[in-house]
Amino acid sequence: MRRLLVGLTAGSVLAAVTACGSSDPGGKDTAGSSGKATTVKVGIVPVLDVAPVYLGEKQGFYSDRGLELELVPAQGGAAIVPAVMSGQFQFGFSNTTSLLVARSKNVPVKAVANGAASTGRSGADFAAITVGKGSPLTSAKQLEGKKAAVNTLNNICDTSIRESVRKDGGDPSKVEFVEMPFDRMPAALDGGQVDAACTPEPALATVKAAGGKEIASNFHDVSPDLTVAMYFTSEQFAGENPELVKKFQEATAESLKYADSHPEEVRQILSTYTKIPATLLEKLTLPRYPAGPDRPSIERLAELGERDGLFEKAPDLDELLP
Amino acid sequence: MGVPPGRVTSRAWVRALLRLVFALALPAVLVAVWWAASAGSTNVYWPPLRTVFGVFPDVWTGERLRGDVLPSVLRLAAGYTAAAVAGVALGTVIGSWRAVRALCEPVLEFLRAVPPPVLVPVIMLFAGIGDTMKIAVIASGCVWPVLLNTVEGVRAVDPVLADTARSYGITGVARLRQVVLRSASPQIFAGLRQALSIGIILMVISEMFAASNGLGFTVVQFQRGFAIPDMWTGILLLGLLGFLLSVLFGLAERRVLGWYHGLRESGRRSP
Repeated sequence: MRRLLVGLTAGSVLAAVTACGSSDPGGKDTAGSSGKATTVKVGIVPVLDVAPVYLGEKQGFYSDRGLELELVPAQGGAAIVPAVMSGQFQFGFSNTTSLLVARSKNVPVKAVANGAASTGRSGADFAAITVGKGSPLTSAKQLEGKKAAVNTLNNICDTSIRESVRKDGGDPSKVEFVEMPFDRMPAALDGGQVDAACTPEPALATVKAAGGKEIASNFHDVSPDLTVAMYFTSEQFAGENPELVKKFQEATAESLKYADSHPEEVRQILSTYTKIPATLLEKLTLPRYPAGPDRPSIERLAELGERDGLFEKAPDLDELLP
Repeated sequence: MGVPPGRVTSRAWVRALLRLVFALALPAVLVAVWWAASAGSTNVYWPPLRTVFGVFPDVWTGERLRGDVLPSVLRLAAGYTAAAVAGVALGTVIGSWRAVRALCEPVLEFLRAVPPPVLVPVIMLFAGIGDTMKIAVIASGCVWPVLLNTVEGVRAVDPVLADTARSYGITGVARLRQVVLRSASPQIFAGLRQALSIGIILMVISEMFAASNGLGFTVVQFQRGFAIPDMWTGILLLGLLGFLLSVLFGLAERRVLGWYHGLRESGRRSP
């Protein structure tokens, strides 16, 4: 998630590549048959949510199945979705709302594995609505008429904040949303440029360290088991490489399970691919990494998306989910 | 000076018509090629041009023109004007005195080399996230071509002309207006023209940060929402806006620099 939420854009160059019908440069032929490892490129955003894949790679869950992972850090979904669609990456990582929006606009994305989920504990989730030090705001309802920072408008952050406000008895249409990257939110709260912010870790820990407080667990408010992000591929690739997709699914499920039961190792691996300071690492609230997506929570997210006008008609979840 | 207005001959009409044909021929061909090449496209990111044209009126309604295009254009106007005023003023000062020039040049070259988009986070710190920030971003990028061209233009004032003016007792504001700025104006306008295209680019970029309206903002929103045909209409509109502004600029330049173009024209005619 994180900067992946920053959005899903598409370049015309990539479009042209897709137009040529290029399939997979990752090589499907060697999968399983020759015993040689198949390299799969996975577009990720280097944040907490993707720790299980790094961990699984280290534990050999992928190589055991003949897959060699090439994790390609991307700025965000801006690059990942078109890259997966054009076959440059075989898999990508994206937040659930973006996938729902893509599917509703007939972009043939197909979720293949779970990513990360809400911790299921209100007030102790890996993301929260936070306010700066000394802010008079104490509950979601008070966001009426206030400015809230989200990393991407019309996405999972504002949809979930609206839900928090609604659950608290407020009118979500009165909240003003402003777009800015997560890492800039703590400073914006401090400087009073915004009144509240949608902050997942490590921005959440940064805000708290600076004296800020959380006033609601917005992901938890959508559903305690909210599937926040998933790995996906293109429908075309899934259709042509069912074996490879199955191996990736199994390996990822094993990685998620491992990560869920080894939080200390998750923290350790975070220091290898992020620049989160060691002092902050211990304070981070980790997401949960369930092996599979939670369908009811995704249905709820789709309902909210429809309600907030992210899409006119909620997409068919059978088409999207594995 | 120049051709007196009203003496438009039929030859001039033919020339104008021919220019129009020339101006429109290539765009027409390109649109036709695009239309034909994309007609059967099923690719999400590369919709048929027919579809793009089809959604255009639905996307760019009066409400959106007021809510997104107008704020963008106003910010561009504000930032560009600020850059033009500051650029010409500073440029005149720097260009007029050798010592000031020697003092400023290294710093100017340094500042000019810093691309304004990387300054956005910094500008955000002191200008906040509102319109001020966006105007500051536009101005900070547009000012350089104006400034540097003004410096060069002011430096290049014909010394004979300057001496003559001095001997006639033309000093102060009159000298500045009639001699310095007038003789530097062709270069100032060259700078202003360069700044115009930079301004449009920065208008879009500034609206990609912490914005809630504007053309750049809307196009990015369409991209993220996978509303790809809508996104293309935004790109087309940006292109049209750029074209329109350059036409307006051309008209303004023709008026202000009429004497100069006339001079060059007559210079060309009489060997």
